[in-house]
Amino acid sequence: MSVDPGQVTHRVDAEHLELGGGLEILLAASFERVAPGGVLEIRTPSRAVALELPGWARRAGHEPVDQLSTRDGHVVMIRRGTSTRILAGPLPARDAGPALRHGELHTADWRGGELPPAPEPRAGFAPLGAVSESGAPTHDWQLSRRDTLWADDVGELVDQASGQQWDASRDIPWEAARGVDDTTERAVAQVMTFLAQNEYAALYVPAGFLPKVNPQLVELVLWLGSHVHDEARHIEVFTKRSLAGGHHGYALASTELSLSTLLDEHDFTASSLLLNVLGEGTFLDLLRFIETHAPDAATAAAARLAHRDERRHVHFGISNIKRSVTIAPDLVTPLVAAAETRAAKLVSLSGLSPVLVEALTIMTAQSLQPPDLSDAAADVRALMQTMERNRLRRLQACGFDTATARHLSDLHTPNLM
Amino acid sequence: MNAPELRLGAVAYHPRIVTIWERFRIYFADAGVPTDYILFSNYERLVDAVLDGTVDIGWNTNTAYVALDHRAGGRTRILGMRDVDRDWATVLVMRKGQAPESVADLTGRVLALGSRDSGHAAILPPYYLARDGLDVTSCRLSRFDTDLGKHGDTGDSELHVVRAVAGGEADAGALSAAYFSAFRAESVPAVADLEVVWRSPDYYHCNFTVLDSLDRELSERWFRALLAMDYDDPTLRPAMDLEGVRRWYPGDRDGYASLQAAMREQALLS
Repeated sequence: MSVDPGQVTHRVDAEHLELGGGLEILLAASFERVAPGGVLEIRTPSRAVALELPGWARRAGHEPVDQLSTRDGHVVMIRRGTSTRILAGPLPARDAGPALRHGELHTADWRGGELPPAPEPRAGFAPLGAVSESGAPTHDWQLSRRDTLWADDVGELVDQASGQQWDASRDIPWEAARGVDDTTERAVAQVMTFLAQNEYAALYVPAGFLPKVNPQLVELVLWLGSHVHDEARHIEVFTKRSLAGGHHGYALASTELSLSTLLDEHDFTASSLLLNVLGEGTFLDLLRFIETHAPDAATAAAARLAHRDERRHVHFGISNIKRSVTIAPDLVTPLVAAAETRAAKLVSLSGLSPVLVEALTIMTAQSLQPPDLSDAAADVRALMQTMERNRLRRLQACGFDTATARHLSDLHTPNLM
Repeated sequence: MNAPELRLGAVAYHPRIVTIWERFRIYFADAGVPTDYILFSNYERLVDAVLDGTVDIGWNTNTAYVALDHRAGGRTRILGMRDVDRDWATVLVMRKGQAPESVADLTGRVLALGSRDSGHAAILPPYYLARDGLDVTSCRLSRFDTDLGKHGDTGDSELHVVRAVAGGEADAGALSAAYFSAFRAESVPAVADLEVVWRSPDYYHCNFTVLDSLDRELSERWFRALLAMDYDDPTLRPAMDLEGVRRWYPGDRDGYASLQAAMREQALLS
């Protein structure tokens, strides 16, 4: 064991550091400055450290080559091993980092460039900017092609989602739900039960897509995560409102049938149309209606906060469909087919359930007095018209022509979600 | 699967041995030297299997190699060893601040040793310490004969050794430098307040042993394939990491002289 002093390419003084006490960190950093095959000279005042270093070196993939005692301590020479520690190329040089907006780091700005159309399928859970090591297990991500999955403003939507979180236990004036009269409360319980039932589907659909998305499409992963989280809170808040007044509602079989067809759709873009644009879009009008006609402040607050979330979901859907059909106009045909397939499974449904329409009307009338009921029935009829008008507007915003938009809207009519 | 040309024996001292040899089996098949592996529960049985021809190659500890070579009358060949096998060493550890001027000062103290069939933790420490002035028969020996038959591969007895020293039941303990470094890297609590007070000269550890009678051309092909194994191949690295090797080297007998002498002194060769 001896080494020519000329072979020493780097020297480090360990001072009083010991192995297990930080010396291995200093050594790892020092070896980064030594080329494979080069020799690092380590000075230590400790005989114990000098005796332990050869074992450390072997374990770290290096070769202990020489050791001598001097007047003021010990010198250990270690030749850097030739194998790479991490099976990957070098890390990129330090750069300026993503741009900040008034001190804020926005998700839309963190990528600093276009997302590739087909991200590396084997990169796995490598965070943005990271260099992946070879040899990691690979996954077969079913959703990996950017163009039919993406929305141009998904980064902004992700930031909105995290900035607009709320608390269904504390942000609702729950005491207000206690004093509603019996008739109205029974109707509220039915409407809230219906809403909560729908929100389950709105959670399960994005949750089903989430584990299929290539993690390199990270903004989409964050988006779907926020969508799922939003819907969990909607299930929570509407269930709580249903329970808070003491009455109970029916989970209707017709609603379950309508929702089950959403779960049957396994194409991301088609699901974006059926759930985000048509379902949640229609829900927006319903939630606004409930907020306006709520008999109590708790119901109004729940509807208002859920509406704020659903607007983001609808926005994503429109953005995603618009981008998809602009890039691939041929996509219109399968999208229409998806809506037709769903409608075909729902031939038994001829419109909204009478139980729901009755509950909505009584909740709006807040009595069973004929004049009140007459006004409320008119309001509910107006809601249906608003729903249809806005549905058409949203479909046109997706890029569908008027006739296609009309056809899609009509196919959706028996459903709310 | 191509019919194996060679049968290799290894000791299953840990479940990872299956992972390692399943990968290496594919590697050798791809390299044109189909090799099957047969696992044994202890090195004595493996040595028997090399001698009676049940396996062609034994993946032996140093203790097993010396025993095999002795029983074969020296008619064995070494086909290769790991980088780490070429400068294996035994260290003596003590609680911090208790290092003696010389190991001779440990006379009469309590010395912890690992499994009695471990070259590095039991057989070689008395041999090398004697050359540095400590007759271990003058010490009170605390032996941890765990996992006998595995020749110290599991590290279990060495963990007992460092715990005994850390806990004050022993004044000093002998174990391999490799296991002490591994305990450090894994932040095993017992080693936090221990330090190395002595290190033996380097000696060899494991090797692939064959009988001299094995076909030369065949063993040469296998040896070349072994040396070509590339740690930078991402499909091989996990198995090589489990085996604790970054590069395979040719082996020779030189580094086994001390163990041979120690085993003879301790009447372990029959």
